[in-house]
Amino acid sequence: MNEKSAIRIRPPLSIVLWIGGIGLLLAYPFLIKQQKYPIHVAITICFNISLATSMWLTWSLGFVSFAQAGFMGIGAYTSALFLIRLGLPLWVGVWAGALVGGVLALVVSLPLMRTRAVYFFMASWAVGEVIKRIFAYYRGFLGGWEGLFNIKPPRLGPIDFANHTAYYYLALISMILIVLAVYRMNKTRTGWIFWSLHEAETLASHLGIHALKYKVAAFTIACSFASLTGALYAHYHQYINPRSFDIWVSEFALVHIIVGGLSTVAGPVLGASFLTIIDELLRPTGFYRVISFGVILILSVLFLPDGLESIPERIRSRIGRFLEDKETRKNVIGASIKGLPKTGKGKE
Amino acid sequence: MTLQLIAQMTITAITLGLIYGLIAIGLTLIFGVMRIIQYAHGEIYMLGAYFLYYWFDVLHLPYWAGLLMSAVVIFFFGVGLQLLLFRPLHGKQMLYSLAVSLALIFIISSTGLITFGAVVRGISSFVTGGVKIVGAELTYERMIIAMISLTLILGLWFLLQRTKIGIALRAVAEDPETAALMGINNRRIHYIAMGLGSALAAVAGCLMGTLMFIVPTMGFVATVKAFMIVIMGGLGSVVGALVGGFIIGIIDSFLTTLASSELAYIMGFVTIFAILVFKPSGIFGQDWE
Repeated sequence: MNEKSAIRIRPPLSIVLWIGGIGLLLAYPFLIKQQKYPIHVAITICFNISLATSMWLTWSLGFVSFAQAGFMGIGAYTSALFLIRLGLPLWVGVWAGALVGGVLALVVSLPLMRTRAVYFFMASWAVGEVIKRIFAYYRGFLGGWEGLFNIKPPRLGPIDFANHTAYYYLALISMILIVLAVYRMNKTRTGWIFWSLHEAETLASHLGIHALKYKVAAFTIACSFASLTGALYAHYHQYINPRSFDIWVSEFALVHIIVGGLSTVAGPVLGASFLTIIDELLRPTGFYRVISFGVILILSVLFLPDGLESIPERIRSRIGRFLEDKETRKNVIGASIKGLPKTGKGKE
Repeated sequence: MTLQLIAQMTITAITLGLIYGLIAIGLTLIFGVMRIIQYAHGEIYMLGAYFLYYWFDVLHLPYWAGLLMSAVVIFFFGVGLQLLLFRPLHGKQMLYSLAVSLALIFIISSTGLITFGAVVRGISSFVTGGVKIVGAELTYERMIIAMISLTLILGLWFLLQRTKIGIALRAVAEDPETAALMGINNRRIHYIAMGLGSALAAVAGCLMGTLMFIVPTMGFVATVKAFMIVIMGGLGSVVGALVGGFIIGIIDSFLTTLASSELAYIMGFVTIFAILVFKPSGIFGQDWE
């Protein structure tokens, strides 16, 4: 009992880092004197992180959903239509979007979960593509390929969210909530069940885990997170068309996860931030931007297969090995004096 | 009139189905043998078409030699890709190959846009004239293209069923370790599968370019179609790829003529979704993780 309270006096390092990081993110617009472009990039990063995290949630069950972009579109269109047709602001639309996305995901996932692995990938791709094409098909109500215009950002008392800095906080808060929710879920028993389905579905179901139930639940939650992000996306850009929710959006989210790392939620966060920044830095190179992006992607997959999240571990193990080397060298020298043969010299 | 329309749509459906089948069979070969997602298959198809364009329309060299050369060059291009990019990923998560081939799409299609220009071109026809079947026009070109596709598909099927190398390919697809114990060089089989698959895509690109048009961005649509067909028919199944090709060909041809290409696209995806719901491993696929 006493020992436990003694440990509690100093908060663990991870919490300090979390609070420090969030504080830094909150102070960010003022650190850069509220310049528009860096804030725009930061908002884009927030959206990308949210989407990648939602996709990572489905990945923790062992499948990759390519319907994510489509569900983002559902959130965006629901929220936009609420504003345009009914005059309801984002505060209503965002929840409506998440709800509609969630319900639709629930309905779709029941037949979808019959498929597995690559077949699931294709089937969810079909779902996302059909959703996008339906947006384009109904010209009258959904605006067709031209999309919907004039989706005004909301106001809250004296704060007008047309201001980039204000919208940054909105996007940041939703991103943090999504990441935190997925992070917490991953730590609980449910998270362990997700990973058990990832590793060995048959074994897990023999242990009495209702695989379908957990898969449907995870897919529904992931899709409503994507829809929520979509609603925020629509009100930020104030203009949406079916192309904003192309298959490429899902593919980029997948790339963010792969580059960031697949095993923890830090993966999507790091990957989305890193690649969005790289993409923005490459913008002045014009045509070569896409090529360089491809090259960076290939290099990172070939040379950093465990993703960016593995970098601290790599550095730690390298330092550890270095210290160990020193130790052995000392021992070896000490031992050689005593007349024993030299072994384990040098770095492996 | 209606009969003529139906005949015309059927002809288009068969030609499209065969060419789609050809692209998809290359993909199914790569997929079945190596278990990697070659997402840039469509870009290879695009490169094949551009090779023939430069050979035939710019350099004015003979068409058939160009078709062959395109297949050979792209064969080695595929082998090179396998050597540089896909071999290091062998035995790892399938998502890595997906990421690498996505990057390949970026690289190849943007390089294509820079070198070839964003202009719609066409490969000139190698033969003119045609016959009329119940009022529908069937050009000799279309007929020959359909014949070539069919011959190649049957040829591949024969190769897989009857020849030594085909049996080795199937053995590696079935169980790489046992195949290796039987003295099959897995690595060499992987190169052959990748090269053959790419070469088939290149030929399909040449034929499609002759029939329709070529642009540097045509690859992605082909990838989408190829994946739809392969998954619909069942991975690693040649017959499945042919059947899937026909299904997509029929949907594309009939719905585009009768309604719109938009609807054809939607229906294509709805069909594949429906098939996967009732047959979760495709029509002819075996259960496979």
